[in-house]
Amino acid sequence: MPSNHTGPVVQERAHEHASSASSPTSPLAVDFTSSHDRDFQSEIAKMYAEQGNKLVTDAKRISSLQHLPPYATSTVRAVTKEVRDLDREVTNLLAPYGSTQGSDGTQIKSSFNPADDPATACALLVNHLSMRRNKRCLLAYHRMRTGKLEQMCWNGVDVADLQNASVSTSSAGGSRHSTTASSLSAEEEQYAHQYSDLLAAYKGQWTDIDLTGSLEPPRDIFIDVRVLKDAGEIQTEYGSITLTKNSQFYVRQGDVERLIQQGYLQKLS
Amino acid sequence: MDEIDDILASVSAPTVPQRTRDLQALTRAWVNERTSPDLLPYPTPLVDRVMDRVKKQIETIEEITGTLDPKSNFTLVILQTELERFKFLVRSFLRARIAKIDKYPIHYRDLTLTDLSLLSPLEQQYLQSHQALLSAHYNGSFLATFPQALQKLDDTAGGVSMVDKPDEETAVFCRVLRDAGTVEIMGETATTDVDLKRGDLWLLRWSAVKDATVRGDVELV
Repeated sequence: MPSNHTGPVVQERAHEHASSASSPTSPLAVDFTSSHDRDFQSEIAKMYAEQGNKLVTDAKRISSLQHLPPYATSTVRAVTKEVRDLDREVTNLLAPYGSTQGSDGTQIKSSFNPADDPATACALLVNHLSMRRNKRCLLAYHRMRTGKLEQMCWNGVDVADLQNASVSTSSAGGSRHSTTASSLSAEEEQYAHQYSDLLAAYKGQWTDIDLTGSLEPPRDIFIDVRVLKDAGEIQTEYGSITLTKNSQFYVRQGDVERLIQQGYLQKLS
Repeated sequence: MDEIDDILASVSAPTVPQRTRDLQALTRAWVNERTSPDLLPYPTPLVDRVMDRVKKQIETIEEITGTLDPKSNFTLVILQTELERFKFLVRSFLRARIAKIDKYPIHYRDLTLTDLSLLSPLEQQYLQSHQALLSAHYNGSFLATFPQALQKLDDTAGGVSMVDKPDEETAVFCRVLRDAGTVEIMGETATTDVDLKRGDLWLLRWSAVKDATVRGDVELV
């Protein structure tokens, strides 16, 4: 049978299965589990639902958080392992047919005919879909976290601080820093470094504009600020000022933009 | 009435100095970029002219500051305010673009293969490097241990495309600056033609007014 014919057939079977899976009386659903090790199948299905979903709900939660919670190393590892297990399962299922299959349900080049054995076809398809879903869960989780990291880079958070990103940047207490282990994975740390380099390079082409500056339309060039934390001495065109805690200044916004972002100063309206 | 307006417009247009028109164009580009769902072509000449002027203005300000003449303080405040506002426009404009590039990276990467004017060289560089970083990160984190066929990031097989696209069918408010002919709009049951007349204000699908916006016949509001 030509390989391109197998795809749609497999697809069809899966839809049938998906719609009938909930009703235990359906012959197809029974077929599916009876032809394989029932325990193994349900184990896979349970794990997949739990771990993949965990990542997605985690990502959803992160999206509304100020800080970055610790990287879910074990979950990521479990989901990745599951994909490998599923892949091995697919290979085993197809082994009797002497196949050289691609990991994609539509590219099976073998003597396997889905019409002859709908149960196996269905198992294959469910496995493929599960792998794809796992991949999407992983991607969503990682993209959400890298997005957060990028946001921090744009906000001018020091990369060194990022490693302690689980401590909210506004409450940067030195003592808490030391007790918190890094909430980033090694890859994420590297990514944060590289992204901030990339951003610095892009920003460097626009020095006159200060790309990471405020996105609030400027009203006055001079503003009142209150000093929340000692920030030392800064140089302005009008001489240097020493920013000591609880003092108040009337300064040029452009000069102190950075310090406001970093939480040293508070803008008074 | 329209004809008189047109004649007046054609007579008065050349007397508006370039810098005023640039400010108008920049403001328009900024509003367009912020309201359109899709990335608009990068206005290289405009941005170059504006950046030149920003640079000159910074020099002027430094010069005046250097003289320490108390009488020029007021002028200085005005100049600096103007400069800050220009800087804000450009910054916000560029950031709006970067945000879109980051949201649909692969879509725009593929588009720039055919349409070079869409991104500035810098933006392209950023897009490429960013994508490289991201895929290296995915690979390092989990993707490398996946089966070969599942390692792609721009897969369209399996019924779900991995490449996200901006929603071209979303609605935008727009004002017609020049008569722009007719565009076809789809209702629930039938299609109608809409005549875009100068001064009109419409709420239309982005896909319908995209071309007119790029031409400059229509501005978004």
